[in-house]
Amino acid sequence: MAEGQSDKGGHNVIQDVAALATGMRTTLGEFFRPVVTTQYPEEKSPRSERYRGRHYLRRYENGLERCIGCELCAAACPVGCILVIAAENTEEHRVSPGERYAKVYEINMLRCIFCGYCEDACPVQAIVLGPEYEMADVTRERFVFTKEMLLEPNPAEERPLIAGFAAGEPAPTVEGPGMTDQPRPTFDHRLIDTADTVERS
Amino acid sequence: MSVTVPRGTLLVEAAKLVKVEVPVFCYHHKLDPVGACRLCLVEISPGPPKPTTACTTPAAEGMVVKTDTPLAVGARADILEYELVNHPLDCPVCDKGGECPLQDYTFRHGYPTSRIDAPRLHFKKPIPLSEKIALDRERCVLCYRCTRYYDEITWSQELTTDERGVHSYITSQFDQPLKSVFSGNIIDLCPVGALTSRVWRFESRPWDMDHVPSVCSRCAVGCNVTLWKRRHQLVRVTSHENDEIDEGWICDRGRFEYTHVNSPDRLKVPLVAGAEATWEAALTALLEGVQGRKLGIFLPQDITNEELFLLRRLVDGPWQDARVALERRTLLAPPQGETLPIKDLDGCKAIVVIACDTADDVPIVNLRVKKAVSKLGAKLLVVHPGHLDLDRWPDTFHVRPNPGETAEAVRRLIGHELLQEGPVGILYGDGHGAEDVDALTQAVVDLAEAVGGRVMPLYRATNERGALGVRLAGRQEDLEGCDAVILWGPGRPPASARFVAAWDSVPRPEHEGADVVLPSATFAETQGSYTNLEGRVQFLRPVLPVTPPLREGWDVLCELGQRLGMPDMDYLGIFHVQRQASRAVELFAPLADPPAPVPNPTPVLYGPARP
Repeated sequence: MAEGQSDKGGHNVIQDVAALATGMRTTLGEFFRPVVTTQYPEEKSPRSERYRGRHYLRRYENGLERCIGCELCAAACPVGCILVIAAENTEEHRVSPGERYAKVYEINMLRCIFCGYCEDACPVQAIVLGPEYEMADVTRERFVFTKEMLLEPNPAEERPLIAGFAAGEPAPTVEGPGMTDQPRPTFDHRLIDTADTVERS
Repeated sequence: MSVTVPRGTLLVEAAKLVKVEVPVFCYHHKLDPVGACRLCLVEISPGPPKPTTACTTPAAEGMVVKTDTPLAVGARADILEYELVNHPLDCPVCDKGGECPLQDYTFRHGYPTSRIDAPRLHFKKPIPLSEKIALDRERCVLCYRCTRYYDEITWSQELTTDERGVHSYITSQFDQPLKSVFSGNIIDLCPVGALTSRVWRFESRPWDMDHVPSVCSRCAVGCNVTLWKRRHQLVRVTSHENDEIDEGWICDRGRFEYTHVNSPDRLKVPLVAGAEATWEAALTALLEGVQGRKLGIFLPQDITNEELFLLRRLVDGPWQDARVALERRTLLAPPQGETLPIKDLDGCKAIVVIACDTADDVPIVNLRVKKAVSKLGAKLLVVHPGHLDLDRWPDTFHVRPNPGETAEAVRRLIGHELLQEGPVGILYGDGHGAEDVDALTQAVVDLAEAVGGRVMPLYRATNERGALGVRLAGRQEDLEGCDAVILWGPGRPPASARFVAAWDSVPRPEHEGADVVLPSATFAETQGSYTNLEGRVQFLRPVLPVTPPLREGWDVLCELGQRLGMPDMDYLGIFHVQRQASRAVELFAPLADPPAPVPNPTPVLYGPARP
């Protein structure tokens, strides 16, 4: 018993030194590896192209809103955080192509789980989840994003429409791969014949 | 599965009994079969192996119907694909989307994709057919339900088709707006989104509404309706089929006159001399105002049975000398003896309509008369000075007495050749005040005795029968000479009034300058019941909550009673009132057995258009 112990003890010293050396090699090796730490919030880690962050409501190139107020996003939403109240377009007040637009569009970001089902459900690709994830705020009320906050800036107007931006200030841009870089899905004219509808009505 | 059905039952109806879905567009159980859409194709043996329309084929002894053979399934899917050739598929913006038979059937019976890539037929849209209804010709599948409804049910033929074949479209006659008071039913009938309500337009999608079955508050027929709410607003009223009363139809008044419930002007708090006050202060001011004065009370036509009972107690007690007037009331007395229930119009061999414009006063009874005449072969006699909707029937025997001479004209009908065969139904109104009602009623009763018929008095005000049951149905003229009036509903104060209390849901010009204004709950909020013109008690089911400080009428009447020194007016709730009313008033006996609480609404899977 005692013999075995002393044998084992001598063997352990060699092993321990070897293990230490291996460990130190790993540690020292890290000095020469590229740095992976991101200095958040000064730097931001890249997000995937399909990252699901803050929502945006998109427009057509001519400035009309894509959203037709169909409430399919609200129906698809598993937590019920979307409220849509629709209204009818008129010749004097045309908001979107076709007959219907969203008079009220609100998302309660506190409830939202960013699953992206709304994006899937949207028949006109109006609502998209962008790359922005920094949405901390100080009151609960401010987490209910209204349509003005969600709408992307109107390319037909110089002044951005997003609430909270003063006149003349440039439209907020999103760095990195995001909404503006995403390939816009081609619009399926079998679903809603937009250009045609505008002309006809 | 085998099923035994009465002779003449169509295969679609027989299939319903064994719960086999045969999709249909053109077939509707209240319209004659036409076989226009070909969607109900099934295979029948014995017989040639060809698809046959189930909606036009009556079931027969030993007939074997196969709905799931490759031939039948393929034929139905082909028809659906064909229906979608020109359908715009704008379901996201279509008000029918979510309760659309075309969506449901395509999902269950159609092909997943379409093979058609040709351009679609386009029409201008939406086209207003009237103030209330929009037409979208692109969505139409040409089932002709709407045009057949106008031909068969209302007899007014206001819709028709123009052009031929694939270019056919629905249009109103001579492009005139729809005038019929029954136009709203085509919205429910349309199996696609071609005919939609302009009042409900884009208000909500079917799945984000809750609904309860209730009773219409607009006239004495008591049609059953479904009330739909979204976000604490009443957004839609549709019919709720009850074959004993309405057969699934409602008139445009019942369907579209609900928007005041959501009005931003709704009165919410009591006002005393124009300033907001508590209920306590307002009721104190009211009681002080009427104290020692000659009191007149104007009642709305849609006052509930429970409120009538409580008011009767007040008028029996502290307000003994009060006079009471009821909105829109006729001059008819409560009926004596047995009367004709609405559903028995179907069995009548002859129907006499006397001194009443049924299309205006009791619209759905008018449709029941038309059904009995055009579908069941009853003879129709009309005694009325003017031109009526019922004159559209070519064989209507119309007697046009001078106003005031209707009673004599009715007596002359005794022994008429059209009244030889019974049973005879005799419907009578009051001629809008032009007739001597007692003489007319006596003539009607004499006629009924002579020809062996039953009578149906056609009251106008929603709960006039209930008000007559508690003897509270006076006229506006009765209020003349009153010093203090309580105007519950749209009543005018008499010139003699020195104190006016208005009790209504919205401000009205005739209530201008009222001393006390009380907010009242509407038919969508209040609990209670109505008695319809045949004496049937039907319960309201509130779809909207009563949000304080709003209070229901029965609740306020109870407090008034207690303040006037009637301690037993401290009812524990509406059920308590109903139990006591059922014992005290014979007409209100059914109140002892109120219906079960509102069941959880079933999710919207099928729209009202689904048969």
